[in-house]
Amino acid sequence: MKFTSRPAAALIGVAIAATTLSACTEEAVGSDDTAAAGGGDASTCEPADVTLVGQVRNESNPYEASWLDGGDAFAEQVGLTQERLTYDGDSTRQQEQISQLFAGDTSCLVMNILPNGDSDTPPIVEGAQDAGAYLVTQWNKPADLAVTDYDSWLSHITYNGVESGKQIGDALAEAIGGSGGIVALQGILDTGAAKDRFAGLEESLSANSDVELLDDQTANFSRAEALEVTKTLLTKHGDDIKGIWAANDDMALGALEALKQAGRTDVAVVGIDAVPDALTAIEDGEMTATVSSDGPWQGGIGLAIGYCVATGELAVEDIADEDRAWYAEQFLIEKDNVGDFVSPETDESDFACDNVFSRSQGPIS
Amino acid sequence: MSLRDAGPPIALVVIFAVFAALSPGFRTIANVQNIFDAAAVLAVVTCGITFVLMMGSIDLSTPGIMGASAITVALLVANNRNDNDLGLVGIGIAVLLAAALGCLSGLALVVLKVPSFMTTLGVSAVGLGVATLMFGGVQPNVTDAMLESWAVDRFLGLAYLTWIAFACVLVGWLVQRYSRLGRYAYAIGGAEEVLALSGVKVKPYKVAVFTMAGAFYGLGGVMVTSQLSAGLVQAGRGYDFAAITAAVVGGTLLIGGRGGILHSAVGVLLVTVLSNGLVQVGVSPYWQGGVQGLIVVVAVAAAVIPQRRRNQVTK
Repeated sequence: MKFTSRPAAALIGVAIAATTLSACTEEAVGSDDTAAAGGGDASTCEPADVTLVGQVRNESNPYEASWLDGGDAFAEQVGLTQERLTYDGDSTRQQEQISQLFAGDTSCLVMNILPNGDSDTPPIVEGAQDAGAYLVTQWNKPADLAVTDYDSWLSHITYNGVESGKQIGDALAEAIGGSGGIVALQGILDTGAAKDRFAGLEESLSANSDVELLDDQTANFSRAEALEVTKTLLTKHGDDIKGIWAANDDMALGALEALKQAGRTDVAVVGIDAVPDALTAIEDGEMTATVSSDGPWQGGIGLAIGYCVATGELAVEDIADEDRAWYAEQFLIEKDNVGDFVSPETDESDFACDNVFSRSQGPIS
Repeated sequence: MSLRDAGPPIALVVIFAVFAALSPGFRTIANVQNIFDAAAVLAVVTCGITFVLMMGSIDLSTPGIMGASAITVALLVANNRNDNDLGLVGIGIAVLLAAALGCLSGLALVVLKVPSFMTTLGVSAVGLGVATLMFGGVQPNVTDAMLESWAVDRFLGLAYLTWIAFACVLVGWLVQRYSRLGRYAYAIGGAEEVLALSGVKVKPYKVAVFTMAGAFYGLGGVMVTSQLSAGLVQAGRGYDFAAITAAVVGGTLLIGGRGGILHSAVGVLLVTVLSNGLVQVGVSPYWQGGVQGLIVVVAVAAAVIPQRRRNQVTK
């Protein structure tokens, strides 16, 4: 083993010291009541010794709150509790929280993490590797960072944005009867999600040749900005606009308000994320479609994979390479199936150790 | 109005004329209405921040105060989370809460002597914290007919919210022109020591200015809630720097002692015309951010030419 930097050495030193200390003195770290296992045989943990941690940006975002709720549901299923961490979209705070975790007992630590951005993933992964914690990340990782180079980093899950952008593009084309003008509201332009989703719309447009993209603007994934931009686009293109494609639901909801204020009821609107308000709007027939990544499932699945490996039911070597970094299934929600998604619940069988990769749509290309 | 103040209005007219020449969609009555409607919230927020800037302080508490007020009002008027239906009283409470948060900024500044940059940043975090607590994971959606109608119903072609913004600018101008508070805010920014030496207790006025600014932000948060029919924690995101930009573009100096409400109103229109015009003429979204920034810098530079003094140090 080679130390690459002084902070890393210091971190490991602290981690080892903490592990040793906790083995002698600490009785209960999380919810368990047996003494912590110590650093000796790290391969398997008693189920009761496992510490489950879910970390997202903030709970004021319904999607991320539902993610943590899903984590709680899984924890309950195995008789544990999940530690809910939020870092307010602040990368520094995320790293601090994670360093604190690594400073504690890490031998049976299972982490399901939403990294703030691509560049936040490598230090988390390195830290987990050094600490021997079981890590699953979702959404963000640099493309050139390979999960298979690590044994503590069990899996990385994300969603194919091109696919979701295309799905709602097709749903929009169908809603306006296959021909007419649409406008697109893009997300934050330098994010992968915004780029992929828009590429999906372009694929959909080439398949639906009678649908014309009149304009594309960015509203930075924000409801308020989408309201202003849509109002401007409505004055610019007027009745030519038959549909609005938004790269997320918040912008779609902002666009709906703009339509309401302009007295327009003949425009179809689609978004992505399946936030509760969007589902209500679909139920009421105001919005056409959205795409769900199933937040509660995401919150549970990362912990489930980690738990299965930690307790020895699943070995890292046995996880196929294509299950180390994969696209998970996402669901197009329209009026006919919106009822199934209004109060999403986790399904226990999804989290069974022989079933944790069942939603894979293939490896990340 | 002296020649010194003529820069920003001239810049506004020039930019408006350029967009009108380039885009037939821009020069329609509907689009001009749209520009006024779009400027409403920013105008109210900028009214508040202008007084703070005139004193030579800075205020970054806007996002937090607006967020707290947005969630508060959404939970107090008719909504989908609880059975409250307080109407105007609810709006009043939200604005009072916002004023209290502004007052907190002012008190921290004068009592604890923490620079306004830090106190207001802290108060912003407090406001966002309060908002997040009240948010509790479920978006409050407003069903109050009056609040919703403010964004939808029109009088003389403009949304009610836009008339509220006009009223705020008028009130702000009256305070600045005729009240002791407004004139002392100027004087504090110009020469606080002189004012203090002449026996004026400046501290209460500073607290009062921050409190009034908070009330304006609170009203801004209420207006965003009306527009979106929902209380968002992020209701004020971006308004801190947008408002400072608008005030500075309009000719209010960050060092204090110069500018005022009418300057800021021109600045707000300039910023709004710019973002509207770039969409109307069809500038690619990938270019807009950069182009907008460039025009703002050029406009500010052009606006301060008449004010430039020899040997002036710029930091």
